[in-house]
Amino acid sequence: MRSFDRLNRRSFLARTFAFCAAFVQGWWSRPGSARAEPDYFTGTDFVGKTRVGKFKQFYINYWKPLRRIKAADWTLEVGGLCETPKHFTLDQLKGLPTMTQTSRLKCVECWSAKAEWSGFHFSELMKLCPPQPEATGVVFHCGDIYTEHLSLADLNHPRTLWVTQMNGAPLSDEHGFPLRVIVPFKYGYKNPKAIVKIEYVNELQYGTWSKIGPYSPDGTILPGTDHPLDLGKTPRRISGGEITY
Amino acid sequence: MSLGLPVIASASSMVLIPEGPFTMGKGNQSPHGPERRLFLGPFLIDLNEVTNEEFQAQFPDHRFRKGAARHPVTKVTWYLAKEYCNKIGGRLPSEPEWEKAARGEYGFIYPWGDHKPKKRPHPFYSGVVKKKVGFNKQDVSPYGIHDMAGSVWEWTADAQGPLKIIRGGLWNLHLDFEYSKAFEKATIPPGERLSFLGFRCVRSID
Repeated sequence: MRSFDRLNRRSFLARTFAFCAAFVQGWWSRPGSARAEPDYFTGTDFVGKTRVGKFKQFYINYWKPLRRIKAADWTLEVGGLCETPKHFTLDQLKGLPTMTQTSRLKCVECWSAKAEWSGFHFSELMKLCPPQPEATGVVFHCGDIYTEHLSLADLNHPRTLWVTQMNGAPLSDEHGFPLRVIVPFKYGYKNPKAIVKIEYVNELQYGTWSKIGPYSPDGTILPGTDHPLDLGKTPRRISGGEITY
Repeated sequence: MSLGLPVIASASSMVLIPEGPFTMGKGNQSPHGPERRLFLGPFLIDLNEVTNEEFQAQFPDHRFRKGAARHPVTKVTWYLAKEYCNKIGGRLPSEPEWEKAARGEYGFIYPWGDHKPKKRPHPFYSGVVKKKVGFNKQDVSPYGIHDMAGSVWEWTADAQGPLKIIRGGLWNLHLDFEYSKAFEKATIPPGERLSFLGFRCVRSID
């Protein structure tokens, strides 16, 4: 009986220690804890999902890590149902008439963040590479192996912007260098980054997240609650569509 | 709480809401309050949200996918919704009219009563789930009106500044029933075409 008691005490102490260690480790790496987010990419040739440092104010989501894109090596390939497939350099795209707007982007994960974005409207690209009459949308192919579809109607919306600059500076790798599209009335997964190729298509196609998750291919921001990162994540009611605060 | 039998004049697809008092708002805080008793004269309101095929009958250029003829029409601006109602001899509902039709005389939280269903709606999807109007047999108001908590949000005639007030709600994985209380409201620019936003019409009775 004594031996049994000792074993129990020993076992009890060991289990208590293990529990405490697990608790401390769990607390240290809990979701939302900055300590839980190692900085995998700073100083490397790669960029990917991160929420450390300045990105606590504007989370970065990528589908997969990608090698940083060099402007000199990059062109935008435009193909599919277009009159003539073409390639555009970054300088050519930067030469298009520029628009600037302030927009808040909202992730389907519930957070949002705001910035000033500059770039060109889709109509400018359509002039250079018109779609065939049967085209109804565009499929985006991104550097992180992400794909997404947007209709021509959504691309021609006056608030949809093809972005090359953010807050007055060239897009950072994290925010989608060299080219991203913002659609402020749709969740972030409908806002492709690090675009390398677009294809005009004649039917709706499911993007990466809509194929594997419970995410609608429409992606319009719905009435609900927002947790803006730049406003302390304080919950705010939103009406759906573009967030205007 | 129990209500008397609903008064339904359903020779057409509209339902008579009888004149009388009703409870509007909830609590004392914005945006749902203040709670108060109002009086409305009689009016007719659509039994269901306007469908794609009904909308197409007035606007032949309207296109929708196969199988969606009886789904609620969405992606229409407030201006088009208003024009549709005018074309058929009606108008968009005021906020009080919409809320009385949804909550009944005594101000239910949901159209069917004060308790949210135990079963979660559409548990595996985050977007708008459209079905034939009137499909949900629980989402029925004391006056027999369908889809005032689920389905899609709806334009009203009323405004807050430059924005139009929308009422209703929709159900999905993330929203659950949280935004389907019949006193909920939101505001949208009238020129927007949104996939979660449709409408229904009312007619005055002189």
